[in-house]
Amino acid sequence: MTAAMGNRNVKIAIFLVGLFIVAILPLFFNESSGFIDDCTLALAYIVMALGLNIIVGFAGLLDLGYVAFFAIGAYTMGWFASGFYAEADIHVFVGEFASSIPGIHVNFLIVLIIAAAFTTLAGIVIGLPTLRLRGDYIAIVTLAFGEIIHRIAINGDEVQIAEGFPLTNGRQGITPVDKIDLPFIEPFTSLNLRPWYWVALALALFVLFVNFRLRDSRLGRAWIALREDEVAAISMGIPAVKTKLLAYGTGAAFGGMSGAFLASYLNTVNADQFAFSFSIFVLAMVILGGLGSIWGVVLGAVALTFINYRLIPDVLNDVPNKVGLDFDLSELSFGIFGFLLVIMMVLRPEGLIPERRRQMELEQGIGTGDTELDLVEP
Amino acid sequence: MTDASPDLILDARDVSKVFGGLTAVGGVNFGIPRGGIVSLIGPNGAGKTTFFNMLTGLYKPTTGRIVFDEKAITGGRPDKIMALGIARTFQNIRLFGTMSARENVMVGEHARMRAGLFGSILRTPRVRREERHVSDKAAEELAYVGLPPNTFDQLAINLSYGDQRRVEIARALASDPKLLLLDEPTAGMNPQESDELTALMHRLRDERGLTILLIEHDMKVVMGVSEYITVLDHGEKIAEGLPEQVRNDDRVIEAYLGKGAVHE
Amino acid sequence: MEAASLPAAKPKALRVVQDWLSKYGLIVVLLAMPVYYGIQDLSDEGDLSRLGGNIVDGLSNGSIWALVAIGYTLVYGIIELINFAHGDVFMIGSFTAAGFFGTIGLTAGMGIPGLALGLFLTLLVCMLTTGALNVMIERVAYRPLRGAPVLAPLITAVGFSFILQNVGLLWRGGSQEGIGDLINSQNTLFTITGVEITNGDLLAMGTTIPLVILMVMFITRSRLGKAMRATAQDPEAARLMGINVDTTISLTFLLGGMLAGAAGLIYALYQTTIWYAQGFTAGLIAFTAAVMGGIGNIKGAVLGGLIIGIIQQIADNRIGTEWTPAIVFAYLVLIMVFKPSGLLGEQTREAG
Repeated sequence: MTAAMGNRNVKIAIFLVGLFIVAILPLFFNESSGFIDDCTLALAYIVMALGLNIIVGFAGLLDLGYVAFFAIGAYTMGWFASGFYAEADIHVFVGEFASSIPGIHVNFLIVLIIAAAFTTLAGIVIGLPTLRLRGDYIAIVTLAFGEIIHRIAINGDEVQIAEGFPLTNGRQGITPVDKIDLPFIEPFTSLNLRPWYWVALALALFVLFVNFRLRDSRLGRAWIALREDEVAAISMGIPAVKTKLLAYGTGAAFGGMSGAFLASYLNTVNADQFAFSFSIFVLAMVILGGLGSIWGVVLGAVALTFINYRLIPDVLNDVPNKVGLDFDLSELSFGIFGFLLVIMMVLRPEGLIPERRRQMELEQGIGTGDTELDLVEP
Repeated sequence: MTDASPDLILDARDVSKVFGGLTAVGGVNFGIPRGGIVSLIGPNGAGKTTFFNMLTGLYKPTTGRIVFDEKAITGGRPDKIMALGIARTFQNIRLFGTMSARENVMVGEHARMRAGLFGSILRTPRVRREERHVSDKAAEELAYVGLPPNTFDQLAINLSYGDQRRVEIARALASDPKLLLLDEPTAGMNPQESDELTALMHRLRDERGLTILLIEHDMKVVMGVSEYITVLDHGEKIAEGLPEQVRNDDRVIEAYLGKGAVHE
Repeated sequence: MEAASLPAAKPKALRVVQDWLSKYGLIVVLLAMPVYYGIQDLSDEGDLSRLGGNIVDGLSNGSIWALVAIGYTLVYGIIELINFAHGDVFMIGSFTAAGFFGTIGLTAGMGIPGLALGLFLTLLVCMLTTGALNVMIERVAYRPLRGAPVLAPLITAVGFSFILQNVGLLWRGGSQEGIGDLINSQNTLFTITGVEITNGDLLAMGTTIPLVILMVMFITRSRLGKAMRATAQDPEAARLMGINVDTTISLTFLLGGMLAGAAGLIYALYQTTIWYAQGFTAGLIAFTAAVMGGIGNIKGAVLGGLIIGIIQQIADNRIGTEWTPAIVFAYLVLIMVFKPSGLLGEQTREAG
């Protein structure tokens, strides 16, 4: 027992040291350095990947339409914190600059909560009818929902909620979006990226905390039970749809929060951001790191962010040209992610940092589906 | 078990299940007296497990109605039926493979727990207390069914076959059921383990007032433990009564020796 | 009877309505669009020729989807996997066709015999390419994962879809590419009651119908086809009966891939525009068709393909092409949620 306690203390100490280093990291770089930019993106993607991890890793629901929650979160920021609805004149707890321009301008923290609420609601609306289906059907239905949201985003400029209030701004994007402006702190700017980094870090820590707490809880047990043997789980009193919905809704909320943050950080809400390939980008982070493995997913998110935004476009972009091929590596980016998915699933399905249970399930074929008792009754 | 019988904990009437034209269970009437130990027997493919699955909500009956403890449960959801007080084990053990014995039993207590999403995230004192309580109760149940204490925190799939059966029973008991359904609990057990299980069933009834329904192939166990026996063949009830009566029933002998002799 | 405690059963009328809805609800939903616009046409223009035109175009498009949908349904029938890369295999079929046209120098001015021969050669090349590709994908990405959790091969399928899209991107660039209108596809051959039948319509239906008939005959009559059906029913039993399950599965992928290749060629000729991303949408549309018809059922896939083609054409023509994918995907969601067994779906394997 004391050994275990000691082990735990060591872990906490390592975590705190690591956290300290991560927290002071921006101070060693220029205020507007590209590295801090990449790190901030990586943190925002950690939030998404950990959100998706609750859905795919914990509850075992393959969601191929996670981009829908990114979109809804981002649009929430676009609707409630930009000059997009210039005919309205609503200002709620915002700084001097935002107060002086037309449009709906609501404080970042409030929008963050609204975004979480909207995406949770969307998660429930999507999940309620679909989560009774078998796993592969869930995957396709969520994909279809993701595509529907994408199409609505593209064509939403034709849809008027009210006169002068189109749903989206299509491919042109809603831009600019309000920068974060918190009480007692200087308004954020695009010249100093450090505060953005710290906000993203705070969000990531929050999601990390929720992931750990949920994993070791009554709900966490119920998710494992459902994904390993749904028949036994429901026979033991676990309500399947409700329990899955809790995972789906929670994961959705984090996707929405990260989306809202990114809208403000990237200063645009553009329909082209919400393509299917983004869902796969986030899924690849979870698979690379290890399904259900919290630290693995963090690693996966950081790795793929840097591969996508640094390694491929900057460092390795010329490699094909150097070996005599007529294309840039950046053209290959989603092929690379596809390749990564195949390679990981075939060679190391448990990911870089395997989660103990998931590894057992994969090695011993636990939860390989149930042909003996078919629950899909006519 | 006639209609006049006043205290049935479970009363199934005219229950049938048809799969794409094939009748697995056809119009069975079946009652279990409160506090009884009742067996459902019959050759393989007689529809016993299908009947179990209808009682626990995994299948919706094609016709008929099922009343448990004065509440209609026909076609209800498995988790709700479980919460009302019917718990079960499975013919081919279905423990959660990556969980320890204790965690498996804790899943059985799911329906009795309160911790929700926010409680779990915040880990409030109430949630902590509940987790501790549930963990202790799981250990109690495991001890009650006779699992050696040093195996409580081992992975369930690493336990011996007999111990896995015990964990499954403990998991069912964890929900404080009124009616316990055991699907071939002694399958694969040696005679000594079977005897222990028989004793356990008596204890469950006597000490906890549980009603037990079991599907069983081992006639020694069936005759030793049952107060009442119902025999299914080809989805229909062909006999029922006291062990003595069933043992000497011509149709039962025919069902078993005629066609069923090949199956054990 | 101590029936006092029993709650009242559902009112009979409600049950009847429910039964009716589960039987015919999907058909009603599918008929909604044609009937609505048919009535509109009748009141606006006095005849149904516009709707008729939609339906003919829809059937042509739909026959392409039907060919792709059969590939989904065959594979799902045998290994219960949604072969997500299938739409991109279809795209590779189109690209192969476009490439081969150039190789053999096929042009519209060649005269009918030369053109017919050239197209037939192209058809063979496309079918062999995509058939082989599909077999390779199964070998590399799905076979190692047999026995793994269901979602593992689905993830590799998505991965392969991306790889193929990237192959397409590198092969012919990132923008929509017009290819020569070899068959003069919009040329009206003849008109029936105001509805124009074009070269393209004839080609699409004229290729699809024989291919589907051949396919059905192969599966129902030949030994290999019987092995496929046996494996689909029960792989374990099939193995015990001496059927080589691996070979049978490879064969299934071969057939599915070949049909996708044929569809790719027809698509290229009919639409005269190809694009590396065409496979993604096409794949989802064809999958919708397969589910609509009842996955695992070949006739269902054809029926679903034709219906979805008509829906798509009506949506294109009346609502706007930019909304069509959203409408088709909405159908996909509705069907999967409310009638996952589809129109002609067989009940899933059941044990008592």
